[in-house]
Amino acid sequence: MQAILEIKNLSVSFNTAQGELQAVRDVSFSLNKGEVFAIVGESGCGKSVLCKTIMKLLPDNGFIKGGSILVNGTDITNYCQKDMECLRRKVFSMVLQDPMTSLDPSVCIGKQIAEAVKICNPKMKHNAIYNRVIELMTLVGITNPEYRYKLYPHNFSGGMLQRTVIAMALASEPKILFADEPTTSLDVTIQSQILNLLKDIQKKFQTAIVFVSHDLGVIARVADRIAVMYAGKIVEIGTSEDIFYNSRHPYTWGLMRSLPYFAKNGEELYTIPGMPPVLINPPIGDAFACRNKYALNIDYEEMPPMFKVSDTHYAATWLLDKRAPKICPDIFPPFVLHSCTVPDTRQDEKNSCNISTDTLLDVQHLSQYFKLGKNNVVKAADDLSFQIRRGEIFGLVGESGSGKSTVARCIMNIYKPFLGQILYKGINICDRKQFFKNRKMLQSSRQMIFQDSASSLDKHMTVADIIAEPMKICNIKPKRGSFRNEAEFQLYYVGMDKSYLDKYPDELSGGMRQRVAIARALSMEPELLVADEPVASLDVSLQSQIINLFKHLQSEHGFSFLFIAHDLSVVRYLCDRVGVMYKGKLVEVAPVNELFENPLHPYTKALLSSVPIPDPQREMEKTMLEWREND
Amino acid sequence: MSDNRFTLVGMRPVDKQSPQNTKWYKGKPIFSIVLFLIIVLGCLFCELFIPQDPTYMDLYNANIAPCKKFWFGTDTMGRDIFSMVWYGGRISLFIGFFATAISTSIAICYGAASGLAPKWLDAIMMRFTEIFLSIPELLLVVLIQAVLGDANVISITFVIGITSWVAVAKVVRTEVLQIRNSEYVIAARCMGAGFFHILNKHLIPNFMSSIMFMVVMNIRTAIVYESTLSFMGIGLSTEIISWGSLLSLSEKSLLSGSWWIILIPGIFLITSLLCITDIGNYLRDRKKDINGIKRLFCRK
Amino acid sequence: MINKNPYLYYSRKILIFILSVFLLSIAVFYVARLAPGDALFSYYGSRVEKMSPKERERAEKKLGLDAPIHIQYIRWLENAAHGNFGISFKYKTDVLEVIKERLPNTLLLGGIGFLFIFILSPMLGILCILHNGKWLDKLICKVGTIISCIPEFWMSLVLILIFAINLKWFPSSGAYFIGREGDIWGRILHLILPMTVVIASHLWYYAYMVRNRLLREIGTGYVLLEKSVGFSKRSIIFKHCLRNVLPSYLSIMAISLPHIMGGTYIVETVFSYPGIGTLSYESARYKDYNLLMVLCIMSGTVVILCNIIAQIIDERIDPRIRESETARIMEVSDV
Repeated sequence: MQAILEIKNLSVSFNTAQGELQAVRDVSFSLNKGEVFAIVGESGCGKSVLCKTIMKLLPDNGFIKGGSILVNGTDITNYCQKDMECLRRKVFSMVLQDPMTSLDPSVCIGKQIAEAVKICNPKMKHNAIYNRVIELMTLVGITNPEYRYKLYPHNFSGGMLQRTVIAMALASEPKILFADEPTTSLDVTIQSQILNLLKDIQKKFQTAIVFVSHDLGVIARVADRIAVMYAGKIVEIGTSEDIFYNSRHPYTWGLMRSLPYFAKNGEELYTIPGMPPVLINPPIGDAFACRNKYALNIDYEEMPPMFKVSDTHYAATWLLDKRAPKICPDIFPPFVLHSCTVPDTRQDEKNSCNISTDTLLDVQHLSQYFKLGKNNVVKAADDLSFQIRRGEIFGLVGESGSGKSTVARCIMNIYKPFLGQILYKGINICDRKQFFKNRKMLQSSRQMIFQDSASSLDKHMTVADIIAEPMKICNIKPKRGSFRNEAEFQLYYVGMDKSYLDKYPDELSGGMRQRVAIARALSMEPELLVADEPVASLDVSLQSQIINLFKHLQSEHGFSFLFIAHDLSVVRYLCDRVGVMYKGKLVEVAPVNELFENPLHPYTKALLSSVPIPDPQREMEKTMLEWREND
Repeated sequence: MSDNRFTLVGMRPVDKQSPQNTKWYKGKPIFSIVLFLIIVLGCLFCELFIPQDPTYMDLYNANIAPCKKFWFGTDTMGRDIFSMVWYGGRISLFIGFFATAISTSIAICYGAASGLAPKWLDAIMMRFTEIFLSIPELLLVVLIQAVLGDANVISITFVIGITSWVAVAKVVRTEVLQIRNSEYVIAARCMGAGFFHILNKHLIPNFMSSIMFMVVMNIRTAIVYESTLSFMGIGLSTEIISWGSLLSLSEKSLLSGSWWIILIPGIFLITSLLCITDIGNYLRDRKKDINGIKRLFCRK
Repeated sequence: MINKNPYLYYSRKILIFILSVFLLSIAVFYVARLAPGDALFSYYGSRVEKMSPKERERAEKKLGLDAPIHIQYIRWLENAAHGNFGISFKYKTDVLEVIKERLPNTLLLGGIGFLFIFILSPMLGILCILHNGKWLDKLICKVGTIISCIPEFWMSLVLILIFAINLKWFPSSGAYFIGREGDIWGRILHLILPMTVVIASHLWYYAYMVRNRLLREIGTGYVLLEKSVGFSKRSIIFKHCLRNVLPSYLSIMAISLPHIMGGTYIVETVFSYPGIGTLSYESARYKDYNLLMVLCIMSGTVVILCNIIAQIIDERIDPRIRESETARIMEVSDV
């Protein structure tokens, strides 16, 4: 079977102010008809750039440094934009990450799909185009297509918009579909629907799909073959079984092992230490060597070639060389041993030690309404009640729009709730009088960490100022002499050294910024820490570092922790009790093991079943519960 | 040899490859800055090099084309244009900078107040600016001048200052509204920060960078405005030398064909304006690099 | 503020309009009279200095300047309701007559200039975008920047110097050849130089704005998707980007109309073009109250009207603003 797409030694670079950025280095792979080829990697590894290069949609400062791209045997490396337009109409199609910005906001969606149809079939008559559009909309699962034809993008949710984008992509009956993180910005339940849709398309039309993602669970569900990328190179390539059950590259090991899903009972999450390299002056040898526990001397001198493990499986690591020592890594993901039904004894141990029966936070019948225009009232929180005990980690889970952020902000007194009351240590913080009486205590003993670290730190303040700010506001004398010493101490606690004190937030990476935010929150020694999706925007390996940090700090300080997330595996690993929210209502609250093993509410059941598991065999066996909602 | 290469060594810190040192001056409008500095310094220290006294009216030598003695020629009253251009630059630049300082201060106070005020007050303040804008500029200038009496440098500066603050105020207000809802301000309020703390530590440093570009452009506008007013006769009189008053004589020179009275001071004026524009454009493009101004002066 | 009832919406806007004009008239009336200076000067000229106090009193009574200001205002308002706006002190004829004579000239100059700018600036902006990054774009930007730095009056002078005096292609002043008011060709010849200045001094500002907005549009996600479907860059710009930029362009143009038309006074002065620009300047300088009032109210009305039109365009036509959900949060707690 001839490959419809072949990439040979492709290198792509960008001209930046700091020099040449080598985004993709010497990548080779081939794509066969009708298969789903997944590219996994963290941000900055070059996977998006690879897709855009093949479709020649790079920005102006990007160029192909070397190598060739062959489509059905034809070399398209030097094609100009005009020739590419032909190819894009007939052979390629693309689905982008954020459906909200992928569509023209001023044109109705029916028309946009019609335009896509027209450009592939310029001679089609008006009626025929309309019929085709309805056909495509039905195909991708948009119900009531005749009515929805006239609606605009802002009338739709993310899932529907992504379906529209897929409809546009299918209009040309492409042979190759590039999906660049298509489900990353969608909710879990919608994500599983879209993934099913893509699988359907693959079966029906024999379309080859290049699926780019950083989420191993999603990849396990859809991929036939997988390539793992790091620092612009493919480090391992093989079938789904090869990669998940028999991986050979230390980076793949590290990636799998960092997932909370594989965390052994009570143990710290495995993390890959260090940071991905900056590709402006890439290191000479293996780029992963400085983070690799199993690095060899030669890794620092020469780049490893692709070693063959089997006909389908190749890995670029010197460990596969005949002369290399044989190692049996203890970080090999124990697929055979691990099973979800193993009871987690961690919870019972913990229960007896830290958590007291004292209630720290008592939320009673909390309701918060927002007005959108005259007749439209949105119930962001609807009669919510729950308690958080001292020393407990309480997880609040829900999809976007479920109201979890609203709850967090009500607890922190950012919003005044419409109804209900919140008792913190017995004080009703919604009552102005009581609040003002205990103001000082309340402001220092509750702290918050936000999702987007870039916007929660003031760009004009140095790290030292940011950490010292709460102390300056509350007029507290620094315990260790000066504010600077205090800041240094807090930074040390979160694992950063004092050289960061004079840096600005935009000089730091996402993980570092989040640590600074944590240091700022902890400098006041709070009793309640509220974290609103703190790890959502971080890569997997950074996520595990921050989660370990949270666990460590919580066990040392003993504060209560309200952890809000949409990623269920993280919640399962970290929390003691979990509450599930749906459209403003708290549908279920239970200790974590109970919730995951024996969910009671249908929504919880649907949610749990849609979470993608990074294990291909289990994914196939799983039956998915559909949660029907009005879209 | 091969044994050594294949021994397990684990993680080793790799020397951080520093990015290629691009020349520090790349991308910065060096030419404009240098040229502008020459003009400013020349105007400030003109006494050191000008050949004639700029205010000396030598009617015998009126209307002479550029020649060896008078490099830029003389005007209708016999003053040496070369000296006048440098000497007058002082006043024009002074008016430009100080008028902008006045208008920027008013704009910041008004815009910040409007952005922080409750909604109804904000609406009233914005309506007021609209009505303010609808009064013809010229009328305002003439009337304010009439109130202040004879035009002199200070009064012109004041007049220009209080008629050109509106655009910057609107930008300040928009920025303040945006910053007010940003997460770091919310975080500060959770911690218990008071109004002034937020104003000083968060609001001001953040919107300053957004308005830098507009402020620089306002300097340019103020200089043009001054010259226009002087030209029309409601600015500085011809006794006070500025680029504007210099050009106000040029209308008469059309008839006598003395092109140098029109062209040369004009080109001087335009060159300074171009330098300011270039610097302003650079600041706007660098807005994304928030601390760029601080880093402008240090090389990594 | 999107009400379901259009009548309520528009009548609200009309009410705001009338109120604003009314407030403006009061403001101008008071400010004009409170400023120091002798109003009698514009009527009597230099004879004022020689008048005895009794003669002054009589003169003031004759012109209606003796009463306190609010009474003067009420008188003026009563007369205005009947269409009588008083006489111009300087020209000693009915104010409306004076304006009628000169208004068409300014309308020609400002109006046609505005039309040219309205049509040419998007064209220039699109030209820059189509060749973005190449030499043409850079050249246009540089030239545009230089031209926008040139003060209007200087440009007028230089143009007169070159084209009227040295090359003698165009006349240097006036709106028409003397005695031949109806001669269209003559009018056109007189219009060319002043209009060039009006257009050149504003064109680049708007063209640059169109260019930047289009540049921003091109960076958005949907353009990438359209490209991947197979549209050419050209068709994306014309079919999609322009359409999205159009509402904000229209609303900015609405606001710039009074700015351009009112800003012709400099050009009119240098070219001795008999329009209402010079009229406003004179009436302000020499305290010709009645004329000043009418002119200010006229221009103020146009400004306020254009602002309201721009608001209407913003609210009704731009779909993003029209349907965007702006949640009014029910009390951000002032902790």
